Amino acid sequence: MELLKLEIITPNGVIYDDDVRQVTLPGSEGEFGVLPRHAALVSLLEAGVITLIDKSGKEESVAINSGYVKVDEEKTTCIVDGAVALTGTGSELAEAISEAKELLKKAEASNTAIAAAVSKVEQIGKTR
Amino acid sequence: MANLKEIKRKIGSVKNTAKTTNAMKLVSSAKLKRTEELAKRSRVYAGKLTELLNEIAHKLQKAGKESLDNVYFKEVSRPNVVDIVFITADKGLCGGFNAQTIKRVSQLIESYKADGTKIRLRAIGRKGIDYFKFNNVELNDEIVGLSSAPDYAKAAEFINEVAQSYVNGDTDKVILVHNGYVNMISQEIREDQVLPVDPSKLELSAVSTSELEVEPDDDDTLLEALVKRYIEYTMYYSLIDSLAAEHSARMQAMDAATKNAKEMVKTLTVAYNKARQEAITTELIEIISGMESMK
Repeated sequence: MELLKLEIITPNGVIYDDDVRQVTLPGSEGEFGVLPRHAALVSLLEAGVITLIDKSGKEESVAINSGYVKVDEEKTTCIVDGAVALTGTGSELAEAISEAKELLKKAEASNTAIAAAVSKVEQIGKTR
Repeated sequence: MANLKEIKRKIGSVKNTAKTTNAMKLVSSAKLKRTEELAKRSRVYAGKLTELLNEIAHKLQKAGKESLDNVYFKEVSRPNVVDIVFITADKGLCGGFNAQTIKRVSQLIESYKADGTKIRLRAIGRKGIDYFKFNNVELNDEIVGLSSAPDYAKAAEFINEVAQSYVNGDTDKVILVHNGYVNMISQEIREDQVLPVDPSKLELSAVSTSELEVEPDDDDTLLEALVKRYIEYTMYYSLIDSLAAEHSARMQAMDAATKNAKEMVKTLTVAYNKARQEAITTELIEIISGMESMK
């Protein structure tokens, strides 16, 4: 299976750097998905959730407040202000979710975007 | 034997000083480690951000916009007003760390004044503020507390104000001066032109040539957002860099001070022993001469 390299970078360091099958990003003009060999693209990112499917087929989510993404044929680089990975189970996940909600509420974005992102985060909490 | 007592007291006091400076050195080295880690992590982010800005600028240049006619890129050959933002520490006892920055700033002021350019100073850090205030140099901004505890939000707020006055046309150029971290034992003065963003610094040849799509469509929104983030980050990174340099400079200064104090204790101990021996000898002579006279 073809993979693309994904990097998520915050001012506090690199939080994700691995090959993934696909990634869905909250662009300022709407959500979009990226598969390997996507055409080169630069976009602003809004408050929302990055959803990725890693090389083993597992789904992962990362809540972000704002940033940029640069996509080219082999590599996708997300440069974001703040990010919280929604991983783990039980109390760990619950903690990550409340942290993510906090981050999203503080983000400078339209209320609808924030509300949509928060509900998405909550959804993740319920399904896992 | 007042001399003996005095020397003993001096030895005690110097020993105490050595203890203090040694403690300060240890504190600084611990803090340096933390700041260094912070700098390392944010360096990745800074690098990627610059790369992205490069690529956008490159794309715009290729798209036919001869020079980037965005206000953030407008290079003025003869600036009328120049803003100098400089970072010093809030505390002293770090060798020539603050003095070096102040010296460079003074040099810059001189050279711009010779060209008839108006200078506006924006100071971050108490030491720099104190110096220029003492010399009756006007400061436009005085910010204390930011250089000892860099905070992204505060740094962004400050530099955005500066950027706003640049966009309004109040200033033609913004320069950032700080003493940066090289390694444990050396620092160097770094001078960055924050605004206008210097396109010659962007490595335009190094980027891929493939067609680049941009969202949102009008280039300016993205470019502006990027430039803003770029200068915010330059500011923040300089603060961290300066803090790391401050700690390394203090570590060095305190290390030297501890060494000097120990050296001094040695010299004083020799003097003390000499004085004691002298006293004993004098006493002996007194006793012997006393006995001689009784014969």
